[in-house]
Amino acid sequence: MLTARRRVMATAAAVLCGTLLLASCGGSDSGSSDGKTLRLWHYEGPDSAMGLAWNAAIEEFERTHPGVEVKFEEKGFEQIQKTAPMVLNSGDAPDLMEYNKGNATAGLLSKQGLLTDLSAEAAERGWDRKISASVRTTSQYDARGVMGSGKWYGIPNYAEYTMVFYNKDLFEKHGVAEPRTFGELTAAMDAFVDKGVTPLANAGAEYMAQQYLYQLALSRADRGWVDSYELYQGKSDFHDAAWTYGAETFADWVRKGYISEKSSGTKAEDAGVSFIRGESPILFSGSWWYGRFVAENKFDWGTFLWPDSAMTLGSGGNLWVVPKGAANKDLAYDFIDITMSRRIQNLLGNKGGVPVAADPAAITDPRAKGLIENFNTLAERDGLAFYPDWPVPGFYDVLVSETQKLITGDATPDAYLDAVQKAYDKGVPKT
Amino acid sequence: MSAVRRPAGRPRSAVLSRYPVLVALAVGALFMVLPFLIVAVNAVKSPAEYSAGGPLSLPDGLYLDGLKDFWERVDFGQKLLNSVLISGSVAVLAVVLSVLNAYAIGIGRIRGRAWVLAFFVLANTLPQEALVYPVYHLSKEAGLYDTRLSVVIVFTVIQAAFGTYLLAAVLGRFPREIVDAARIDGANAWQVLWRIVVPVSRPTLGVLLVFFFVWTWNEFLLPLVMLISNDNQTVSVALGVLQGQRLMDATMTNAAALLGVLPAIVFFLVFQRTLTRGIAVGAVK
Repeated sequence: MLTARRRVMATAAAVLCGTLLLASCGGSDSGSSDGKTLRLWHYEGPDSAMGLAWNAAIEEFERTHPGVEVKFEEKGFEQIQKTAPMVLNSGDAPDLMEYNKGNATAGLLSKQGLLTDLSAEAAERGWDRKISASVRTTSQYDARGVMGSGKWYGIPNYAEYTMVFYNKDLFEKHGVAEPRTFGELTAAMDAFVDKGVTPLANAGAEYMAQQYLYQLALSRADRGWVDSYELYQGKSDFHDAAWTYGAETFADWVRKGYISEKSSGTKAEDAGVSFIRGESPILFSGSWWYGRFVAENKFDWGTFLWPDSAMTLGSGGNLWVVPKGAANKDLAYDFIDITMSRRIQNLLGNKGGVPVAADPAAITDPRAKGLIENFNTLAERDGLAFYPDWPVPGFYDVLVSETQKLITGDATPDAYLDAVQKAYDKGVPKT
Repeated sequence: MSAVRRPAGRPRSAVLSRYPVLVALAVGALFMVLPFLIVAVNAVKSPAEYSAGGPLSLPDGLYLDGLKDFWERVDFGQKLLNSVLISGSVAVLAVVLSVLNAYAIGIGRIRGRAWVLAFFVLANTLPQEALVYPVYHLSKEAGLYDTRLSVVIVFTVIQAAFGTYLLAAVLGRFPREIVDAARIDGANAWQVLWRIVVPVSRPTLGVLLVFFFVWTWNEFLLPLVMLISNDNQTVSVALGVLQGQRLMDATMTNAAALLGVLPAIVFFLVFQRTLTRGIAVGAVK
């Protein structure tokens, strides 16, 4: 009796095991160059401006390409970051995917020969004319994989830039005038400090603190300074006027209480939430917050560009890239073309994104209009200065920890600049 | 977890020592349960409530859209199926493989078993990051890249390495008289294994099965690298979809975490009795 039961169990286990194995063999469909499917990957949330615009683009594509099926898969940012070189080197590469811009990502893949050169398509379809100069920087990579010149390997649909978000209700409540110049900004921050409110939301453990500092330096810099820092077109001296001003002013602001000393360990999410909850009157950060603020802020708020600075942080957004092994490249080009069309670009703008080629007149939402007009102002004066952590691999962590020391007072501005110079010189590619 | 030890024969000190232990256990349990509670609370909160009140505030009502949206967004049913398929296959196969290995080492006492065991320990200490590229290349050559089978094979081997090491130690102390008695009765090696060793060690094997299942369920890196198509992905990889480049959706991430961990907990509770039966082989009956 017992043995019989056991035998039944054993057989059942064997059968289960066998079916599991068989089932797990199940197919992976590799790309086929039948021109009937477009395999598309991106990692934007379905409710984000990009997600909404690209869904519309997929519909448009299927309408204009009858009989072609778009097989879209939403990926995680981390998965693409970690696995892109492996996927692109296998037979399972998609026809078109979103990929992070920059030397360490798109630049590296282009150097390894895993991306398709889009120069001819960009010229023929006019993408290059739609994309302004400082946005274009992250689309082109030279033979070393360094951005700024060379062939086109990616097309951005959107851009990003930093701005001052401010809580109008809090300004009114504390009787502080809304600033338009740098002098008025510091005066407003003084007024808040007098009322016992820390004016600036900051996140010392993440990108925000270094972006404040870089913005301060940028207000004393020009395009040549940025090009030598970001694109290695010359030598960067961190003890020059701009960097020194940036580091000293930042340290000074912590001392004056504009930035909380306690913010050395906070995350960007914390800073954003403190703005949403109406605790911080001012947040200086990127357009990526815009959609969330529209959805969650329960007070009147506005944005303006960093006052009295020709340049601010920002760049083209993530890129559409066509893998070298893509099976249906022509379909991929057609899809990019649709995403660059006025209709999709305007939709992206109306949903709170920063389109690269929209018609400002077609943007109906007044706040979104302001967002895009500010961007167009920047694009016209070639004012996108990228991000401080770009030039050197691993520089982000150096900047975070050094800026933390500046906040806690463990390092003087001079020591800060020395440390950053050392890390920069060590990591900058030798030519 | 049975950490309470009663010093036999000294009732007074037993009473005295019992309360501190109880308090310590209660505090320990609180620490274990608290993160889970926070996840559960935030999973049913709306994003606006989260932004307004932070992670520790209590929600006004049940907000189940986060759970529902996540389920639909990643086709969670399919991910569950994949995870069950992979973890189930790995658990069964790894236990079978471990038993066969450990039988040879622990009871068969093959020559050089110390070296073999040392090799298995080494395999255990290898970080998975080091395996990523070799496994990627091998599976690509074998045409198994982006199949669930590749992950099953890799994890069967990884889990069996640990299982072999543990079971070999357990079977090394297996009562010889039982084996000898069976031999005298005319049982061959195969019969000794299936009729004697496996039934007697069943509690240990059950524990291993549960552990292998839960461990494989929670694996992230290798499934992330090996399972490219969304149709093949596991639950833990699907959770990664929500981590954006700069923004995170805290409430939906919590909802996803809750959905991701529930099946493992259910599995754990179902097999809990197997676990409490202990990891040691039963004595001579």
